[in-house]
Amino acid sequence: MLNRRNFLKLGAAAATTTVAGGASLNAHAVKDLPDWGNKGFSPTTGKPRQAIPSACWQCVTRCANIGYVEDGRLVKIESNVNSIRTEGVMCAKGQGAVNHTYDPDRILYPMQRVGERGAGEWKRISWDEALDMIAARMKKNRDAGTPEKVAFHYGRMKASHSKTIGGFFKAYGTGSIGNHTALCEGGKWTAQELTWGGHYDNWDFDNTKFVLNFGSNVLETHTNHIPTAHRLLWAMAEKGVEMVTFDVRFSNTAAKSKEWVPVKSGTDGAVIAAMINVVMSEGLYKGDGEEFLKYTRVTEDVNADVPTKIAAIKAHVKDYTPDWAEKLSGVPASKITALARKFATTKPAVLVSYRGLVCHYNGNEGERLAQLLCAVTGQMDKPGTRMKAVGAGWKFPKIPKAKKVKKLDIFDGFPGQVAYPTHHVAEMVLPMIKDGRNGRPDMYVMYCWTPTYANGHVGEAIEILKDEKLMPFVVSVDPFYGDSTMYADLILPDTPFTERWTAEDMVDPAQIGEFYIRQPFTKPLGEARDFSDVVFDLAKRLGVDMGEAKSHEDFVRLACENTPGVKEAGGFEYMKKHGVWHDKNAIPQQQVYNRPVPESVYKAKGVALDEASGVYWKPASEEDTKKGYVATKGAYKKYVAQKMPHGVFSGFAPDKVNKSGYLELWSPLLKAKGFNPFPTWMPIPEHQKMGPDDLILTTFKHATQTHSRTMNCKYLAELYHTNPAWINPETAKARGIYDGDRIKVTSAIGEMVTKARVTEAIIPGVVAISHHCGHWAYGRYASGRRAPFTDEERGDRDFKFKWWTDNGVHPNWVIPNAPDPINGQQRWMDTVVKVTRV
Amino acid sequence: MTTAFAPTMTRRQMLKRVGAATASVTVVAAAPITARAAKQEVRYAMVIDTRRCSGCQACSVACKAEFEVPLGGVRSWVEHIEVGKFPNVERRMLPRLCNQCSEPPCVEVCPTEPDKATFKREEDGIVVVDDSLCIGCAKCLEACPYDARFMNPFKGDPVKTKGNGVADKCDFCMHRISQGLQPSCVNTCQGKARIFGDLNDPTSAVAKLVEEFEPTVLLREKKTKPSVFYIGAEYLEAKKDPKADQYFRLDTHRNERSSKRWS
Ligand code: SF4
Ligand code: SF4
Ligand code: SF4
Repeated sequence: MLNRRNFLKLGAAAATTTVAGGASLNAHAVKDLPDWGNKGFSPTTGKPRQAIPSACWQCVTRCANIGYVEDGRLVKIESNVNSIRTEGVMCAKGQGAVNHTYDPDRILYPMQRVGERGAGEWKRISWDEALDMIAARMKKNRDAGTPEKVAFHYGRMKASHSKTIGGFFKAYGTGSIGNHTALCEGGKWTAQELTWGGHYDNWDFDNTKFVLNFGSNVLETHTNHIPTAHRLLWAMAEKGVEMVTFDVRFSNTAAKSKEWVPVKSGTDGAVIAAMINVVMSEGLYKGDGEEFLKYTRVTEDVNADVPTKIAAIKAHVKDYTPDWAEKLSGVPASKITALARKFATTKPAVLVSYRGLVCHYNGNEGERLAQLLCAVTGQMDKPGTRMKAVGAGWKFPKIPKAKKVKKLDIFDGFPGQVAYPTHHVAEMVLPMIKDGRNGRPDMYVMYCWTPTYANGHVGEAIEILKDEKLMPFVVSVDPFYGDSTMYADLILPDTPFTERWTAEDMVDPAQIGEFYIRQPFTKPLGEARDFSDVVFDLAKRLGVDMGEAKSHEDFVRLACENTPGVKEAGGFEYMKKHGVWHDKNAIPQQQVYNRPVPESVYKAKGVALDEASGVYWKPASEEDTKKGYVATKGAYKKYVAQKMPHGVFSGFAPDKVNKSGYLELWSPLLKAKGFNPFPTWMPIPEHQKMGPDDLILTTFKHATQTHSRTMNCKYLAELYHTNPAWINPETAKARGIYDGDRIKVTSAIGEMVTKARVTEAIIPGVVAISHHCGHWAYGRYASGRRAPFTDEERGDRDFKFKWWTDNGVHPNWVIPNAPDPINGQQRWMDTVVKVTRV
Repeated sequence: MTTAFAPTMTRRQMLKRVGAATASVTVVAAAPITARAAKQEVRYAMVIDTRRCSGCQACSVACKAEFEVPLGGVRSWVEHIEVGKFPNVERRMLPRLCNQCSEPPCVEVCPTEPDKATFKREEDGIVVVDDSLCIGCAKCLEACPYDARFMNPFKGDPVKTKGNGVADKCDFCMHRISQGLQPSCVNTCQGKARIFGDLNDPTSAVAKLVEEFEPTVLLREKKTKPSVFYIGAEYLEAKKDPKADQYFRLDTHRNERSSKRWS
């Protein structure tokens, strides 16, 4: 025990286990404490803690981090101060991950179901038995010529994990691979793919002067959360950058904004459309906008000049007046006009948008309208604006695909339901299986995927997963006994990310690209194994070729040894020691679109001009040439350059869909599917039919939790474990509801009871219920229910001090699965409900 | 007043919890806080620039993990204070920790002899608890006007403390700062809202900020002379707070039982 009286005399104990280079980050530190991290000490003994650089995985942002280990135990997680993405700061969630490793309800051994599905009766089996069981099913299906009946469905699988695990299934011969992106941000991605290719945008807060935000809660949660959020906070604090946030709810992001503009749910698109109207009618497109419009397509004619384009946009937005938008959105026309002017004339300004804009029926169009507003003001792809994002480009070892890869057509929704499901339609997978018209998997493997909790219509999802006729064999790969894991037939104990290897690559707001790795803080507990290692074993059993690597660690090693830059820096050994690497001489990427392409490239052998789109591409055959660029499957992969009236340019290279190298704001692809090619206001059908006492149910995320995977972390659950429904006093009063009352929320598919949080911090006419809560499994901290095979406390001395019993509710019981008709994004914000006092 | 929509606590109780002065208390002029105490060479202090705080609670978790603080116990927490009337709402973020008072009422009441188990370190002003001397009586918990202390059942001699554990609270991460490392809640803070240093060193960041902003302290009228200062939290000492009169809600994970749990 340290003596507090002479503590400081302890002096500087040799800090041998720290990560190199913990430089000062604080601009105003003069004679202050020199070290900002990458080292740690025990508060009880003062001894240095072992510091291991790795990467977070609590959310998809995947920040570089440092794990501190004391006597072989992970005790603390902090940021890595050498990361150019995070600049040494971290969120609550990332630090709460310290609880994953020692969650007393963690699964440590392969388990086989012995009772009814979902009854919680299990027996422990060996890894050999478990893998034999899986391999036998896979062999059977391969021999029968039906490898596609082996379906693999993941929630999150990124970078090298995606390469090895996804690679394994494709090498075996199944393309029946699903994801969860439509539940998350798929709509945003598709809208971007339809316009400028690629799917991530980066908001350059480091260089911006004004932030216009439609429905992003970036300070609490975001796809690139901490790297983006801290830059925004610094910009606001140090440069006085103002942000205006449109949201139905007064989020913490709205709270830190200069102004919160409450907007009727699902009408942000109308406000943006009206802003475009203001820009066009007031000539605010002149200059930067005109210049940028050269690189956009806004008419059928790909050779149109800028005045023609301007005329086309003007004609299209003519009726989207601020008065019109005021009637729909409740936002005063004068405010719309003023903000449009401010956005157009503050250079540079950045337009921010996320789920508040895109998780609606009209989400695709909302995002396309946002792209149009950026385009006509020229606030795009240059410093301080919305930019095309940059991540690390690893050179991964190759895993050869099977000669024939077959897939079940169950991942893209019902026929005709979604026009461009470029990131699939996760919410319709179980309904498709139930329907059966496109076949059913013989084996359904869930990896980091909880279909019963993450989708809408929870009740139906549970019924389908429980039905052995629909789902003959369900495997769950999970570190925890989750809300879907409990319905599996076989559980493979995965490692939490704190015990994994990965070569990571997430978006870098500095526009350079940061290479970083995840390495285990501690050895896996029990018999837990990273699934990305397990697939190497399965491959051996099945005679599947996994290429050069022998394990996932080996795969990461090879990536480090082969990737230019990382290799010269010292490869795998360097990365294990430092965790992060970036090219110090790299120039931040901007304006990807206006680089002239030399004749030698677009006139090279095999390159042809597709007159209809103006795309130079490499058609694979005569037939492709005849069909043309837009109609040829996968033609976007053959894109070379874009012909424009003023030259041939790199353009906005397409990704996932055959758009041209223009920023396509007039989309022939959407036209072909019967939609307006121009970004268009689309009313939400359900909202058109609302009765006088109907409300719109909207959902949100809290700063201390990720969607569905963090409630088992006790430090986070202690902060946020219950989620009363936010409701405006006026709306509440009309229903006789007072703060704390029990209320019933009824939708077309069911009802649920929760508590009311009557608050001024929300617009009238909606009720807002957060995600995260209401687990029925996922361990004792999350739900109060222990995993059936883990009765001990496993050394968790906190157990008896858990002081909360209210675990909140899960809104997805009353939210139907409803995809955006263009991109398949689950419409989390559109459900019409009635709310009554119980 | 309470809001029309019946919060569970009265506003007065809440204000005590927030550490705000009640409306009737006049603002006491700030003492010259940069003046050196007689023998005190160093006066560690924290400035919290609430303008830079997003209420993310990274600090709460950083502190929790750093010390493996038991559930229910809290050294560091954040209060979210919602006021105003739709649409003119405000959410104030108020990170909280021990104020390392220059006149600590907790030390005053500590009964152990001859040395007090909780005391203020002369060399740097940090108020600490000596776990080996603490008898677990929890008198200091009652005396602290800021609710900064809790009983830690994992620490101390179970016999001596009669199973109550010892009093625990923020110690400015002494084990880190003594090694030149920023406190745990400071290095994680995404807004860089928490600034730590020696107030007696006029070139330090904290001294400069205190000089420039004359920041607010909590419950100035209690004359505890805190070493934790708040920028952008003038409402704490405002005579009138019309927004809070319209509507007031305080959210914090520090529940009623936190401080009383093991006493
Ligand atoms: S933003 Fe996401 S990845 Fe980064 S620390 Fe937080 S949870 Fe981890
Ligand atoms: S970490 Fe910083 S920004 Fe987050 S709540 Fe704490 S003080 Fe505020
Ligand atoms: S200084 Fe250390 S002990 Fe005090 S609140 Fe911050 S993290 Fe906790």
